[in-house]
Amino acid sequence: MEIIKSPNFNFIGKKNIAYIFSCVVIIWGMVVLAMRGKDNFGVDFVGGDMLNVEFKQSISVNDIRARLKELNIGSFSVQVLGTEGKEFIIKSGPNTSEKIVEKLETTYGPEGDAFSIKGKSSVSPSMSISLRKKAFYAFILGMIGILIYITVRFEFRFAVGATLAIFHDILFVVAVLALTRKQIDASVIAALLTIAGYSVNDTVIIFDRIRENIRKTRSDDYFTLFNKSINETLSRTILTVLTTLFVVLLLFLIGGETLHIFAFCLLVGFVIGTYSSVFIASAIVIDWHRWKPHKFKV
Amino acid sequence: MMKQYYYRFLLILAVIVLCIYQVYPPEKKIRRGLDLQGGVHVVLEVTETSQDEKVISDLADRALEVIRNRIDALGVTEPVIQKEGTKRIIVDLPGVQDPDRAIEIIGQTALLEFKLVSDDPELLKKALEGNVPEGYELLYFKEKDERGIYRESRPLLVKKEPELTGKYIEDAYMGYDSSGFPDVNIVFNKEGAALFEAVTANNINKQLAIVLDGIPRSAPVIRERIPGGKAQITGKFSVDEARTLAIVLRAGALPAKMDMIYREVVGPTLGRENIVQGFRAAMYGAILVVIFMLFYYAAFGLLADFALALNILILLGVMATLRGVLTLPGVAGIALTCGMAVDANIIIFERIREELKTGKSPKAAIDAGYKRAWAAIIDSNITTIIAGLILFFLGEGSVKGFGLTLSIGIVANLFTAVFVTKSIVDWVMITRKIERVRI
Repeated sequence: MEIIKSPNFNFIGKKNIAYIFSCVVIIWGMVVLAMRGKDNFGVDFVGGDMLNVEFKQSISVNDIRARLKELNIGSFSVQVLGTEGKEFIIKSGPNTSEKIVEKLETTYGPEGDAFSIKGKSSVSPSMSISLRKKAFYAFILGMIGILIYITVRFEFRFAVGATLAIFHDILFVVAVLALTRKQIDASVIAALLTIAGYSVNDTVIIFDRIRENIRKTRSDDYFTLFNKSINETLSRTILTVLTTLFVVLLLFLIGGETLHIFAFCLLVGFVIGTYSSVFIASAIVIDWHRWKPHKFKV
Repeated sequence: MMKQYYYRFLLILAVIVLCIYQVYPPEKKIRRGLDLQGGVHVVLEVTETSQDEKVISDLADRALEVIRNRIDALGVTEPVIQKEGTKRIIVDLPGVQDPDRAIEIIGQTALLEFKLVSDDPELLKKALEGNVPEGYELLYFKEKDERGIYRESRPLLVKKEPELTGKYIEDAYMGYDSSGFPDVNIVFNKEGAALFEAVTANNINKQLAIVLDGIPRSAPVIRERIPGGKAQITGKFSVDEARTLAIVLRAGALPAKMDMIYREVVGPTLGRENIVQGFRAAMYGAILVVIFMLFYYAAFGLLADFALALNILILLGVMATLRGVLTLPGVAGIALTCGMAVDANIIIFERIREELKTGKSPKAAIDAGYKRAWAAIIDSNITTIIAGLILFFLGEGSVKGFGLTLSIGIVANLFTAVFVTKSIVDWVMITRKIERVRI
């Protein structure tokens, strides 16, 4: 069985449309990100408390919100889990969860009777700073590692194309998170690094074929050659991401709340990673070549 | 020629048997993280204004010893108590039933006492039968059993009222006695020196127990009256034991003030839900991949599926061998490995199709497919490993588990997807004399 037989699309020719599409989404997302400020981040990056509460009976979110508002504990958020309206995640400022539990007890009845606390966490501002720092270092280190590896295996221009494509993927996912009003936490950083490591796979497979075709044909009509290489590898580009998406989709749909954001990032990131491998990474190398022609050594 | 394949299959078989042996039974062999079994994860930080790193680091050492002492008393299976950097302590208590109580216990200030040990065997016998004499209490030493869990061992009947407490100690450090064995030196402050002299004078040849938070750590015998406020504890200490005892004494002298800067509590229900949901998602995902491969590549798909199953088995085997912790993101890592494991085979199979189209014989096409796909597979796996390793080394808690499973999975993938499938394909091609292949 074969999904696509001998494809012949002009991918590189569509690069300007792709550039515009990507820029619009990323810029729009970044604007929303800037406007949301602290709300973009989960408790591990700004410090604060989180409670996972399950009630015996279903309760409306608005009711909980109204009750907690009486406490004057600054900003907080209440999120419903599942469809029954019994389980909630309450995020609030540092050292406020005890007050919240007290309030829930006076309002709805004692803990253990009316509700149970399934999980809780609290992160002090000083811890959140070091978590942020660590995430930042992890990220920079990952990018440098990948950049060096591709430079060694291919050529510097290819490495730059691949790295810019990774940046594109990461920014795109962050933009989508901002646009869908989701919060960035430690699991998102893990997802972003995974996307960086995985989305470069498709790019490498295409570059590998470009390298092979340059060797074989000795042609310097790079525009045609790049297009041909992308088309030749198209079926495996799609198939490899497809099998991975099967798994990620199931993690997203039935993996439970804890994995939800993580799987969401991977879902968006892997699709965008494939898109950028086809439309962005090679296109950057071609544009660079048009600007400053260069004969690729292979 | 055939012999080479027998060796290969023997190797593959050995790997399978070894991994099954390491993994089975999985509930016992694979360590589960807090998020999969419930428990407490806290990070404590020494609050000390001193700029001297050594001072801060010493404070953290003392606090660590105090915390370890208490956690051993709780009898938690496989607790993790470790220092991070100079001033932070990480405590992981998997499966704790009452997390709030555990957190409370960790946060208390250390209490060090010196208590006289009763030397009357009759009194001890009575106490063990349940009649603890007035003014006395029964304490137990704690020792690690073969599974690493602390259990109560030797009983000790001591006077309830302490002779001295930690506040009379000025310093304590490890040293060496005249014959070169490690010993522990205690320096009492002025008030303590006088008290200690009186205690030692009145109780020669009796044992004086050093008790930290209600657990005896050592019970040296008083040999003579000790004036001047300087004492040595000698015995058959190892360097480690002597150092630990010195830290315990210092911890009692000036307990370090700690801030709990990170606290995560996962209730047992949430842990169970996480494990059920995580595994269900991973399993269905894997099944979907397996069916897809069969459907798309027929016999070759079956081969890739076998490689996938082997990949997961090796991943779990290595996890069990390294005593790695499986966390919920770790389960996601395994799931992801399922999705990525077949990627290498897809790259190879697509290449074989291309080679077949150029009119090559099946044997030549397969050889060329494997050979030419190798570079792409290595390149793409290594970039993913770079990300995985960084997450393992820099990640916190559950994210670390993700980095671990992802990295192991990708490395195992090179073996299963390339070596194992190639060996089987070659063997089939040789023994069956296949003229045409459908892929």
